[in-house]
Amino acid sequence: MINNNNNSNGMMSSSSTNPQLPGLKAYFKTPEGRYKLQYEKTHPAGFLHYTNSKTVTQLTLAHLKEKPAQSQPAPTSSSSSSYSASSGVRLVASKFLGAGNGSRTLSFVGINGPSKAVAGTSSRIGSLGASPSSNFPAISNFDGKGTYLIFNVGDTIFISDLNSQDKDPIKSIHFSNSNPVCHAFDPEAKDGHDLLIGLYSGDVYSVSLRQQLQDFGKRLVGAQHYNKDGFVNNSRCTSIAWVPEGDGTFVVAHADGNLCVYEKNKDGAADTSFPVIKDQTQFSVAHTRSSRSNPIARWHICQGSVNCIAFSKDGTYLATVGRDGYLRVFDYSKEQLICGGKSYYGALLCCAWSMDGKYILTGGEDDLVQVWSMDDRKVVAWGEGHSSWVSGVAFDSYWSSPTSDGTGENVMYRFGSVGQDMQLLLWDLVMDEIVVPLRRYSTGGSPTFSTGSPSSYWDSICPVGTLQPAPSMRNVPKLSPLVAHRAHADPLSGLTFTQESVLTVCREGRVKIWMRPGHGENHSSNSETALSTSLKEKPLLLGNVGSSIYKQ
Amino acid sequence: MGAAGSKLEKALGDQFPEGERSIAVPPARLKTSREREGRERLAEKGEEEEEEAEGRAGAYEAAQFLERTTLPPVLNSFNNTYIDHKCKIGVKGKKKEAFLGTEVVCFEKAKRNRSLEVAITEDSVACRPHKSCSRIHTFGVLCSEISSQKKKTGVIAPKRFVQRVKKENELFRSYMHQDAHEFLNFLLNELVDILEKESRAAAAKNSPETSSPAEKTANGPRNLQANGVHREPLVTWVHKNFQGILTNETRCLRCETVTARDETFLDLSLDIEQNSSITSCLKNFSSTETLNAEDKFFCDKCCSLQEAQKRMKIKKPPQILVIHLKRFKYIEQLGRYKKLSYRVVFPLELKLSNTVEDADSEYSLFAVVVHVGSGPNHGHYVSLVKSHNHWLFFDDENVEMIDESAVQTFFGSAQEYTSNTDHGYILFYERVATTSQT
Repeated sequence: MINNNNNSNGMMSSSSTNPQLPGLKAYFKTPEGRYKLQYEKTHPAGFLHYTNSKTVTQLTLAHLKEKPAQSQPAPTSSSSSSYSASSGVRLVASKFLGAGNGSRTLSFVGINGPSKAVAGTSSRIGSLGASPSSNFPAISNFDGKGTYLIFNVGDTIFISDLNSQDKDPIKSIHFSNSNPVCHAFDPEAKDGHDLLIGLYSGDVYSVSLRQQLQDFGKRLVGAQHYNKDGFVNNSRCTSIAWVPEGDGTFVVAHADGNLCVYEKNKDGAADTSFPVIKDQTQFSVAHTRSSRSNPIARWHICQGSVNCIAFSKDGTYLATVGRDGYLRVFDYSKEQLICGGKSYYGALLCCAWSMDGKYILTGGEDDLVQVWSMDDRKVVAWGEGHSSWVSGVAFDSYWSSPTSDGTGENVMYRFGSVGQDMQLLLWDLVMDEIVVPLRRYSTGGSPTFSTGSPSSYWDSICPVGTLQPAPSMRNVPKLSPLVAHRAHADPLSGLTFTQESVLTVCREGRVKIWMRPGHGENHSSNSETALSTSLKEKPLLLGNVGSSIYKQ
Repeated sequence: MGAAGSKLEKALGDQFPEGERSIAVPPARLKTSREREGRERLAEKGEEEEEEAEGRAGAYEAAQFLERTTLPPVLNSFNNTYIDHKCKIGVKGKKKEAFLGTEVVCFEKAKRNRSLEVAITEDSVACRPHKSCSRIHTFGVLCSEISSQKKKTGVIAPKRFVQRVKKENELFRSYMHQDAHEFLNFLLNELVDILEKESRAAAAKNSPETSSPAEKTANGPRNLQANGVHREPLVTWVHKNFQGILTNETRCLRCETVTARDETFLDLSLDIEQNSSITSCLKNFSSTETLNAEDKFFCDKCCSLQEAQKRMKIKKPPQILVIHLKRFKYIEQLGRYKKLSYRVVFPLELKLSNTVEDADSEYSLFAVVVHVGSGPNHGHYVSLVKSHNHWLFFDDENVEMIDESAVQTFFGSAQEYTSNTDHGYILFYERVATTSQT
């Protein structure tokens, strides 16, 4: 059945061109209303990649702010109404919005819009998909929000405009040496380079996203290359993150259990060698002796791969999860282990912080979504509902409880998870109902958690700097999902929340954008208000899917 | 020994542990019949004949099957189990002895250890001209050939073993394709059978004059009881390692009486779904099923057919958990078998939570038998075996060391039509000491 429920706004081009599998619905219901599939983004139809390739698509949302572009003029930008002859590659056009009134210089020329001032108008850099079928009509609809989707498929990074209805990406960047596997974006980056890309070979690049969008080639431009040919660490990159407020430092996680800390302003030319790790099972940090070398530090976390890393919003803590099944939380600046614990069984694959830094979600090979409390330094809940491994978790930082009175007594969190079972699950975490009864443990039991004899699990105090063993099944209260929705026809690899939508991505590189209740119907007018609010407030800063979520 | 072998040896270097060998067992024409859907084979002796009859029918049906044998992967997996568990049993037995110290345990231990000798050393078999030993003998010879190799890597052709198996069982004589799961069942059941016969014979011989201290106690004051144990299903090393107990609980919805029936198993055959995990398949296996309508339950207390709820729980988790994925399914609409290429992910660590006791038993994956091929009628088997923290890939006479992460390339296909045809088929998990917090 092809479900065209939200065809009313004419935004369903993707689902009508791409037949849905039977049983895949284009909406799902929650207590607050319907989430509707707004559109899909994917790689061009002709793009071939090995379906069984080792790389899994990850998704990063990038919001480009008002800011002068880097001083490299994009030589071909003036001809942006044309498009490249090569199939599957769309051109990027820049566009001015009339609202812009900044005074910074733009080094490239926009093509339409009333305020076509040559210099002096700072604008939001938009883009349009100049696809042959929908040329200029798309422009009038285009709201100019500079939010982009960055996702990797096979040996290519694709960049799509989140707010355009075009299914195809506006930009593709091909890597000839190895497959890109992870990426991260920092909207606060000071001097241009805001996008990080980690490769299967262990190589890492930092680039300016804006500069990529201005370039019409299929190669990375103006990139800085770190860990060239895996010189420092030749194992696969698994996760990458900017250090919040870190002044251009970033952390790359590798499949050999190490993290490398880099400074983007330094060249990696000087000799960088780290001492041999004596005990693979022990956490250790090594710094480079030379102040000129890059990476500046190596953290040995665990045996086996580090699968995902995430910084708390303020950058104080760094959470890692890995092959050994342990979540570890470090004080980043002190380079100390604070707490952590083992999964029920199997590796952990993803982690994410709550916006207030009190909780960490993890997901892994035990099919469970785990809620870790920083106050208790323990697992406080297990979400049961996936029928395969959990590959992405995220708190919904835009969601506010309808019953919340704002006193903080009844704190409620909404979070989501996706799994290799193709499902998107949404969960509610009500603190006083679930966590508080556990703290003052009563033998009566509550309906929300399994009965069993009271145990020492909740009474025991976990000292700082220790790792907890796997809790047993009966000790951890269980959550049931609020919604379970089969979102894709492939195993999922990540999700992220925006103010208007939930984004899901599958391993094979298809992104679906599910509009929140009340956002789908009047999309075009709504986006105006969304634009103005996001101009007033801090822009939506979204990190890598499943690794970090920032509060708006 | 091929070049591949020496390359492997080189790659392993000093890491390759002493006393551990990677011996490939190349193809030989050993066949078993195709698996029949819905058949959940339990290792009960009474079912032996039935199995053979059924298997023959299956073999006939599958006459077009052609190609190689399933022996190498099973043997490869099995050898590893086998050799590892020889040591393991020693430790386990001692522990038990220390804790329990009962005669029965001593007795069993003695039995078990001796059986193991029979199975793996040629000498002890040679000194036992018992007729039924011959099958196990060839298997034992094969195992001892492998374990006594001076070379650390190499290839052994299991000719004698295969010949013997073919001689013993006409099912394996044809040139049809065989099923690894059926072969594993055959091998385990056959071993049990032989070990039992042998121990009975040995017991009969030993009962007049007391020979070993263990049997002395067993035949001592509690002679009758000890003999009783003999008659009961004997606990062989096969049972010690592979056997678990399932309990089938049925609760009558009228009188609420719970009827529990125990069954032993040597492996669990699980139904699979697209894009699911082993955890979820196990959950479905022990999920509650309601018996109603035409399928009511006869409650002994109510003396009538009643609606009831039924569920399977694991009462005694085995030392080695063998999980068989039902990838070969009879599709009624098609009127034939079909291979399900579903993506079923299996973690390297597993816990069974659907157990009767609260304690979660923890397992670690150590071998995977992989079926290569898109259909049920043809294909090839390869296997992955973890040996002293290295994953080894066995494909006939080729043995390669692979990265642990390569295991996930055998999960299956997320989409129905795909070029990937290498799918995990039988998983071997071994129990590890539980570290979970209580």
